[in-house]
Amino acid sequence: MAGSGSRDAAVTAAALPVAAAIGVFGVFYGAVGNPVLGGELTVASSIAMFSGAAQFTMVALLASHASVGAVVVAVVPLALRHIPLGALVQDRLAPGRVRRAVVSSLFLTDETVGLALTQQAPAARTMAITGGLAYIAWVTGTAAGVAGASVGGAEEAADALFPVLFIGLAAVTASTWRDAVRAAGAGAAAAVLLIAAPAAGVLGAVAAAIVVAWVGVRR
Amino acid sequence: MSNAVVVAAVAVITVGSRIVATAVLPPPDGATAEIVRRLPAPLFAAMAALSLVGSDHSGTPALVAAGAAVAVAARRSLLVVVLAGLAGYTFAEAVI
Repeated sequence: MAGSGSRDAAVTAAALPVAAAIGVFGVFYGAVGNPVLGGELTVASSIAMFSGAAQFTMVALLASHASVGAVVVAVVPLALRHIPLGALVQDRLAPGRVRRAVVSSLFLTDETVGLALTQQAPAARTMAITGGLAYIAWVTGTAAGVAGASVGGAEEAADALFPVLFIGLAAVTASTWRDAVRAAGAGAAAAVLLIAAPAAGVLGAVAAAIVVAWVGVRR
Repeated sequence: MSNAVVVAAVAVITVGSRIVATAVLPPPDGATAEIVRRLPAPLFAAMAALSLVGSDHSGTPALVAAGAAVAVAARRSLLVVVLAGLAGYTFAEAVI
């Protein structure tokens, strides 16, 4: 069995490309958030939230002079996806609600949950390592973007990495052929739904996955 | 209302939903537990579709990267899939 040092090294190796891509998006967020929120509040938002989807949505709506209510209505569906993500790792995290709350308050993201489910290290430790690296990259990238840094064509490369990462996580978590068939079905269903109705967004994708997972479950 | 209040509200929603999901809601049981057991692979596949379809930059290189990743997915290695995806992206950027 691998020791904790080698398991941590494996987690770190898996997390570094993810953190690098997140850092690139942090630079982009800092650049677009600065004119809307101001530099200090843009960096503060990254420190307090660590949620690219929520932060980009918030800045885009504020830039178009949306009301507070409109921002909240747009962000709540994004936050709802934390419920299935939390259910996936809840019994793997440290015992005790306070410790689970501390680990998850900033580090419960699609990427950290995926790595927590696929690495040999304990889930709480995996989420702390991957979440910590990604968090540092996101906040540092935001500060760099506020300061005027530019990522040039790296944004496109980083954008291409996320589908690849999720395909890899789907592959690793598919332990049987039935899992693989369900993954293919959910990916196809989500793609069709999002092409036909782009407004379905993240909730539509999560719903497609839940429906596919639900098919055939006995009550 | 100031932008600081909006940022604070969105932070409460985002961080609060994470804490509720892991430390407040009870663990799933029965049929719900079975759905959760089956959920990881479909959920990440759906997220892949979302990040591919919903992206502003999902041109041919991103599609080639995703195709290369799918091609080696049966190996069930995150490193192999990511390397294949990066190779596909680099190839498409160079050729197209």
